Amino acid sequence: MFKKILLVEDDKFLRELMSKKLITLGYEVVSAADGESGLVMIKEAKPDVVLLDLILPGINGFEVLEKAKQDPAIANIPVVILSNLGQTEDIEKGLALGAKDFLVKAHFTPQEIVNKLKSILG
Amino acid sequence: MEEKILNYTETKEDELRRVRAALLNILEDTEEARKEAVRERNKTMAMIENLPDGILLLNNKNEVEIISPLVVEFLRKNKEDIVGKQFSDLLDSEELKEFKELIIDSKKRKINKVTKKEMSIGKRMDIEVYTVFLEGIQEEEGGVLIILHDITRDKLVERMKTEFVSIAAHQLRTPLSAIKWTLRMVLDGDTGTISPEQRELLEKTYVSNERMINLINDLLNVSRIEEGRFLYKQESASLEEIVSTVIDSSQELLKMKKMALSFERPKEILPTLNVDREKMELAVQNLLENAVKYTPEGGKITISLEKDSHDVIFKIKDTGVGIPEIQHERIFTKFFRGDNVIRMETEGSGLGLYTTRNIIEAHKGKIWFDSKEGAGTTFTFTIPIPNAKY
Repeated sequence: MFKKILLVEDDKFLRELMSKKLITLGYEVVSAADGESGLVMIKEAKPDVVLLDLILPGINGFEVLEKAKQDPAIANIPVVILSNLGQTEDIEKGLALGAKDFLVKAHFTPQEIVNKLKSILG
Repeated sequence: MEEKILNYTETKEDELRRVRAALLNILEDTEEARKEAVRERNKTMAMIENLPDGILLLNNKNEVEIISPLVVEFLRKNKEDIVGKQFSDLLDSEELKEFKELIIDSKKRKINKVTKKEMSIGKRMDIEVYTVFLEGIQEEEGGVLIILHDITRDKLVERMKTEFVSIAAHQLRTPLSAIKWTLRMVLDGDTGTISPEQRELLEKTYVSNERMINLINDLLNVSRIEEGRFLYKQESASLEEIVSTVIDSSQELLKMKKMALSFERPKEILPTLNVDREKMELAVQNLLENAVKYTPEGGKITISLEKDSHDVIFKIKDTGVGIPEIQHERIFTKFFRGDNVIRMETEGSGLGLYTTRNIIEAHKGKIWFDSKEGAGTTFTFTIPIPNAKY
């Protein structure tokens, strides 16, 4: 059973790179390019884990996270923030809203990101 | 007899004339003094009236005696509602609540003590407030001079600048992430095998890109220092533990330059300090990275920790290239880089020591160094022990 990962990322190239890495490693990947469709995808695709960007067109990642955690049907799906924000305030806000982890894109390689996901998926 | 009377009258008249002349003199002097006083008063008032700052002069009973016209503008009150009133009565509105701390019992005043503080008037103005306690000739005299200096515009520009740097840094990270991820995936063989020559070039590109990412992190740190919200969370922590963490994470760096590092741990257990852990790690890391960067291969770095009666003292000593004496003064300034190290082709943003000094000073500590060009450098910083007895 392949684990399903939802990528919410507005930068097309970053989305492609991350999908490629995950697919190579045998994950099933679904993706969304903005906040609204990201939230819809969490509900419809029921992924095993969400990789969520914060600066997104429309509703931002914090709002997506907040809404996801308020919906009992999807509240237990783990969300990992993957963003280029990364000030202490942003990190604390993300974790307080229920994110499992907060990764700054520029500080992690795709493999390191996958390793984080692995440890969350168990 | 008649002659005597005549003489007497003459003498009296003379005397009267003399008294009159003397009186006239005194009157003239007084008039001159009065005019002089008026001139002085006019001069003083002209100065106060035309000052680009708001001035309030309070008497010994904390009543407002003199104000400059800008006070009317700053406080948005009529002059009649300010002059002659109790200072505390002016501060009843919500937007002036920060100014209440300026009300100080006249008995507790320390003469000639000048204090400076930033305050805001609601959300509409930022003011730098200077308070000067004035000495009186008699006990019931004396007073307080309050100077209000408008810094609203400076603050706005500062905020805009910081916000710009912050947004720019975030925006710059995105393309750099793409470069980092692509290079790493190619290097990891995710896109097929590459020749050793290609690998070597790509590895070097990867390192360059990492430098750029680090430079942006430095810029972000600097912009946050200037926003004044750099210390985020202060907690009780052991400096020994922080230093150990930094040393552990720098092993690879030390190995790459074949650098020997010895950590002279304190002989006794050091008291815990009130610090922002993340920022202290950054400060120690900057100092360690500098020592490694500016010491030739095979050099030696010594870190030690000790304490005296009120501080924990951190020292880092290297056998590196040292800092040219002529540049000692500028070493902690932003974007400074030593003449001798620029030629060494080592990376560096010139922000490390600037950031470090700000972190140490935000913890009420001190930082300094001893250096001799060609012989090495020792940086020392102190962090005060909470509740130390002086």
